[in-house]
Amino acid sequence: MRLEKCWFCSSTVYPGHGIQFVRNDAKIFHFCRSKCHKNFKMKRNPRKVKWTKAYRRLHGKDMTQDSTFEFERKRNRPERYDRNLAENTLKAIKKIDKIRSDRASDHIKNRLKTGKVQRQKEARKQLELGIHLVKAPLALAQDSSLCLPKIKDNVSQAQTEENQPMEE
Amino acid sequence: MVQYNFKKITVVPNGKDFIDIILSRTQRQTPTVVHKGYAISRLRQFYMRKVKYTQQNFHEKLSTIIDEFPRLDDIHPFYGDLLHVLYNKDHYKLALGQINTARNLISKIAKDYVKLLKYGDSLYRCKSLKVAALGRMCTVIKRIGPSLAYLEQIRQHMARLPSIDPNTRTMLICGYPNVGKSSFMNKITRADVDVQPYAFTTKSLFVGHTDYKYLRYQVIDTPGILDRPFEDRNIIEMCSITALAHLRAAVLFFLDISGSCGYSIAQQAALFHSIKSLFMNKPLIIVCNKTDLQPLDGISEEDRKLVMEMKTEAMKTVIGQGGEPTNEEGVLLTMSTLTEDGVIAVKNAACERLLNQRVELKMKSKKINDCLNRFHVALPKARDQKERPACIPQAVLEAKAKQAAEKEKRKTEKELEDENGGAGVYSASLRKNYILANDEWKEDTMPEILDGHNVYDFIDPDILLRLEELEREEGLRQAEEEGDDFEMDGQELSLEEQEALAEIRKKKSLLIQQHRMKKSTAESRPVVPRKFDTDRKFTTRRMGRQLSSLGLDPSLAISRARSKSRGRKRERSVDKREGDGRDAMDIDDNQASKKLRLRSTSRSRSLSRPPGEVIPGEGLKDSAQKIKAIKLAKKSVLKRNKNARRGEADRVIPTLKPKHLFSGKRSIGKTQRR
Repeated sequence: MRLEKCWFCSSTVYPGHGIQFVRNDAKIFHFCRSKCHKNFKMKRNPRKVKWTKAYRRLHGKDMTQDSTFEFERKRNRPERYDRNLAENTLKAIKKIDKIRSDRASDHIKNRLKTGKVQRQKEARKQLELGIHLVKAPLALAQDSSLCLPKIKDNVSQAQTEENQPMEE
Repeated sequence: MVQYNFKKITVVPNGKDFIDIILSRTQRQTPTVVHKGYAISRLRQFYMRKVKYTQQNFHEKLSTIIDEFPRLDDIHPFYGDLLHVLYNKDHYKLALGQINTARNLISKIAKDYVKLLKYGDSLYRCKSLKVAALGRMCTVIKRIGPSLAYLEQIRQHMARLPSIDPNTRTMLICGYPNVGKSSFMNKITRADVDVQPYAFTTKSLFVGHTDYKYLRYQVIDTPGILDRPFEDRNIIEMCSITALAHLRAAVLFFLDISGSCGYSIAQQAALFHSIKSLFMNKPLIIVCNKTDLQPLDGISEEDRKLVMEMKTEAMKTVIGQGGEPTNEEGVLLTMSTLTEDGVIAVKNAACERLLNQRVELKMKSKKINDCLNRFHVALPKARDQKERPACIPQAVLEAKAKQAAEKEKRKTEKELEDENGGAGVYSASLRKNYILANDEWKEDTMPEILDGHNVYDFIDPDILLRLEELEREEGLRQAEEEGDDFEMDGQELSLEEQEALAEIRKKKSLLIQQHRMKKSTAESRPVVPRKFDTDRKFTTRRMGRQLSSLGLDPSLAISRARSKSRGRKRERSVDKREGDGRDAMDIDDNQASKKLRLRSTSRSRSLSRPPGEVIPGEGLKDSAQKIKAIKLAKKSVLKRNKNARRGEADRVIPTLKPKHLFSGKRSIGKTQRR
């Protein structure tokens, strides 16, 4: 029993799911669901379809080369069973997984960093330019920090004063 | 010795097919195109060729048939007799004779018609001659149709006859039906003869082969023979009689001493005596079968007497062959095919007797002298009287013994399964014989899949080392990452700043929204002007809230707005209440009352405000600014009905979709649009 990778979107195909297509030249294509299968039949190139892993790797959106990928390699010759080795392998898999996912998320974070920096600069500029919409210049002169002014309670008091003569 | 094999005879086609084959061949292999304009010699030649070609083909095919079928007189008398028994010699000869005459007839026809064709003078005549010739030949064949069919059947049956070599070492098994001949056959040879509880299961001869002393023996199983006069015998029995008569073989006469075949020992003995003439010069063994049901010692006195009689007869044959001291056990044997008790002994005894007899005969014949000259068995001359047997090392003997013991001791998986409850209950442990470093690991279950990975892809003897390296790398990398992160933090906005930014953005979007609404309604919908203020949006409370949210103190502005916006009525009432002593409103009151007094004295009450007068207020600094604002407002607004009141001039459509315009067929014309 083996987990295969979908040929189109590179997600794992668990047993009991998906379709395997064998072509006349004996090349086997695994698909995880009918979406990928139908896309394949339409002869779409996964490298051009935005949501696939192939596209993401090709366009640098996801991590491509890393030493953690070398741990997982299809071995054709089975090794003789060794309990210690098996235990170690299972523990190692978890650790390797964690490291790999950490690195992948760091990769994405780095990629998005420039955008983030730019947006922060824009935000600061917008704040500086637009502060007059939420803070009167008078209040700004008194308190030059770029934040919302403190609301004074005089409003309610003044109102009560004014109301009384009208009522009478 | 020639192996008689009738499988090589070519298929005999039946009459119609025969004609079709030959005629179609003639049509294909001879030229087909002829015109009446050709020279007459050419026409004659054309048709003569066809006639001759057809005759030749017929001749060939019929000759092959005649040659391939065996001539009953030329083959071994056993086969001759067998074929006679099966197919009737006369009938067979007649059929072949008919074929022969047909062949000759066709030759004659062809000769005659060729002679006639030599003098044909037109295309039509030649053609009809050829047609006649071929037609006559075909009629001949049609007439021998039944013979051809008969020969075909014979051919098929002959092909299936067992290939018995009449000259080699043969053992013949005979006896009453159902005594156990076929079972014995199955036991000693690889032949798979049908064994059934009913009589005459075996309907023809069957051949099997067995080995003894490095020689191959033929074993022939015959159908059972009943005790009947010779003339009454049917074909099946005749087969066995023929075999008995012609084959020089050892005869094993089977006797069923339990009587379970349905015939008593007396009947079997009677049969024996009636065919004992056939046992001349053949080593005879009487085999008592089915001893598991009835041991030989347990039969009755009369039966025993009969058996003894048979034995004496058999002994006679033994003695007759050679004056050798006979061992009586070699003549009467017991066995049981069911328990396989004594089967091998019988076979060995029969083979031995036959071999001896054949050797005897060969010794007596003249040919042996030629062979004997060539034989010489060399034996080393004995030096002294000491015995020197073969030397086998002790270890080999022990190993052999151990192997034998182990083979018996070892339990098969099937036995294990049967012991533990059978197939459904017990499932064999397939891992029992695994070779692992530690035997405790044999029953371990190892997962194949973990967290979306195949575990087998990760197995590596030095995975621990690599993992350590990786973790070290990762530690380094993370340290670097933290360094980078510090740079970023400086740029971030604080919480309050973020709030302010959010407010700014909200306000901006609100402004944009309002502008869009205004833009879209400016041309189309009438808007209630601000002074009517049906929603009561333009209140000082609101203004106060908005100003304070901007960070200003609204109290001054509110009071000012309130004072300015008060109408004449209010002013009057304020006038009356002068005594309250409101400092804040004093100046304003004085001013207002002054104006009023001025006005009221000089003009009538009903006068409204002069048209150009602009009162500062409504959020504007002074009259100048207000005038400017009014101008702007007038400019931006089109002179449309902005009072939001509908007049007579406003067009009204009482019904938007009157029925008579939107439904119904037209009496004349199309209704493509409404």
